[in-house]
Amino acid sequence: MTAQLVAVTDDAPPRVATVRAFIGRHRRRTWLDWYATGFALLIAGIYLADILASPLSRLDGQASQAAATHTAALQAVTGAGLVIGAGAGLLLLAQALGPLVLSPADSSWLLLTPLSRRGILRRPALSAAVGATLAGALLGVLALAMAGPYLRRASINTGGGSLPGSWLALSAVAGAGCCLAALAGEAIAQPGKRARALVRAACAAIAALALAGALAGQGSAAVIRAVTAVFGGLTTADFTTAALAAVALACLAWLFAWRAMADFPAAALRSDSTRSGRTLLAAGVLNFSLLFWIAEDNHWRGRLLRSRPWPTLPPAMALAWADWRRVGRRPGPLIVVTVASVFPALLGAAFTGRAHGYLIAAGLLAGAMAAGLQGTTGARRDMDSGTLRRLLGVGPGQVLVARAVLPALLSTAWLALALTVLCALGVLGGWWWPLLALAGPGVAAGVLRLARTAPVNPADRGPDLPTGNTPPWMISRYFSIAVAAIGSYPLLTAVIHGHASAAKVGSQFLVSAVVLGIYLMIASATGR
Amino acid sequence: MAYGSVVVLEDIDLTVAAREVVALTGVNGVGKSTLLSCLAGFLSPAEGTVSVLGGPPRDNQEFWRSVAIVAEQPTWYPGLTVRELLELVPMTHRPVRGWCLPADELVEIFGLSARADASPLSLSSGQRQRLSLAAALARPSRLLLLDEPEQSLDAGFRHELAALLRDQYTASGGTVVMATHDLEFAMAAGARIVPLSEGRIAAEADDEADEADEPEDVTADDGITGSVS
Repeated sequence: MTAQLVAVTDDAPPRVATVRAFIGRHRRRTWLDWYATGFALLIAGIYLADILASPLSRLDGQASQAAATHTAALQAVTGAGLVIGAGAGLLLLAQALGPLVLSPADSSWLLLTPLSRRGILRRPALSAAVGATLAGALLGVLALAMAGPYLRRASINTGGGSLPGSWLALSAVAGAGCCLAALAGEAIAQPGKRARALVRAACAAIAALALAGALAGQGSAAVIRAVTAVFGGLTTADFTTAALAAVALACLAWLFAWRAMADFPAAALRSDSTRSGRTLLAAGVLNFSLLFWIAEDNHWRGRLLRSRPWPTLPPAMALAWADWRRVGRRPGPLIVVTVASVFPALLGAAFTGRAHGYLIAAGLLAGAMAAGLQGTTGARRDMDSGTLRRLLGVGPGQVLVARAVLPALLSTAWLALALTVLCALGVLGGWWWPLLALAGPGVAAGVLRLARTAPVNPADRGPDLPTGNTPPWMISRYFSIAVAAIGSYPLLTAVIHGHASAAKVGSQFLVSAVVLGIYLMIASATGR
Repeated sequence: MAYGSVVVLEDIDLTVAAREVVALTGVNGVGKSTLLSCLAGFLSPAEGTVSVLGGPPRDNQEFWRSVAIVAEQPTWYPGLTVRELLELVPMTHRPVRGWCLPADELVEIFGLSARADASPLSLSSGQRQRLSLAAALARPSRLLLLDEPEQSLDAGFRHELAALLRDQYTASGGTVVMATHDLEFAMAAGARIVPLSEGRIAAEADDEADEADEPEDVTADDGITGSVS
């Protein structure tokens, strides 16, 4: 073992581009990587186009006063609220992830070095800016599409026969500019805890106001009149002004952000990069357990809990009671999920046509699963480990049955709420709908299965599917979602076809009981 | 120093001389890693001051040229091999002035010769820990912060690492502050043991011995001083 004083061969200060070029040269990508990326983008594009086809179709066709019906007015108001809410939601998401973050490897090997901090951040800043530009442009076009009929009326008022194409472009530019400016603001606020909290509060307030506006628009003629009057009076000059202002704001904000990047603190960047890297990886492979773990870890770190004695309940129920206590100790996520029960109704009101039923059905399934997952902490955390069970002297089947109660109740309650809102807002008609909340236990089967799925083992390789190599844990997670869909099949088909009846309610009751029963039997017997 | 309402460190008063090896010891959760984070500038104390190499941790190019840290397991570049990674590290610290070890020698010293052309992702946890430590010595530094460097390492290599830190790194002017649970490893590295208990420094068992061994050319500009609460 001999130490060396390494000779100085190159006095040039380190350049990020040189280092990245070195890493890039050694990156070994196979054609399968490119294929998988391309395939994922293609599928995402197809789904996005399918969802957007309906609102964007409102921009086509001849201008007509008839288009400005009450339904169209409702769509315009709800859609505008949803677009603003979606923008605020995206900014909240970006803020939760960073928005300026390095890849986990860059964070490990480039951050704590003499390399220029701004040079290191150039690439992630560019990626964030491109993402914000695309998302903003899309939201801008969507906002225009939501107000389609009224804009066509405005177009007539200004002497045009149909919607000017320049409005579409200017709307996209305005949306992109607003998103870019907001993202730059978030980047500037990223290192400061207080500034971050302020940004988070501002985004949440905008989202809540937009949501409240969209809801108010459902029942208030005054709100509808006010919003449609604004849409109806728009001119090309208004669009141009908005686009120019947004671009100027974006340039100014990014100038400040660029200056701030030179001294961007490593500590904030390091923790944000680690968290977002884990979160994106977990989301990418549907690793809900890890996502929940990250959220719970962030929540409980720095908080002190008061220990309480175990309740005097039978052992299985005592174990299940821990889940109830966890929900009680941290009710925030459940409150957010509960508020989200209005989204299927708002989506239904804003989107029309072919995608209508599918969107609501997907929203109901996702919401019911999210609600159910709030009550599966025990199953997720201990993976039904035998240690605690043996300590309490209880069998795996009994514990699983006891633990199924809370997710089933949460899913049922959430579905009942969402379906009631859908009926109250007139998206669905008839009184059979709320009873279809009986799908809750069926959804709970999939939710429990998802929570109990074994941890991700990145070394596992699975079959080569058209989406690329799909490891078994990923297939297992998709299968859990399929179980939830099967458990709520009568509800989903009823929503897709827009028809509910006593027979549907009866079949839903049976399907829920059978799916949950079979799952509990199999899971108890096999321990899987 | 607190995380929310949980106070982690209180009334810490510590001075580390240049070319000294200091081992922070104590039970899990006592604040060893938090103290290292304070020294690296990742965390700021609620009260008190921290001075590292002549000033507060500054998070600038000069600071990271002088300070190397091995904390949690790093994330690896999927395309780079062990040897390429060890070549990358000095590239990020150009111009390379001072004591460090070239990639080929590091591969040999850290027992990674057989895996030099493999991806770090394919290494065992112990080999990955060796690679993390090797990377810290692939570039010059004046202060090495190590968070449980002994984890996953076999007993034999722990002794080799301790000797490397004691005989070569500190002999060439470097200072080491590490958090460890392995007292034998710390002693082998010639470390002054600083036991932490309930967020404070407990009485040092061998104060007198430390004073006798204290390096002669101690200056505030080279070492670490600070009080944290």
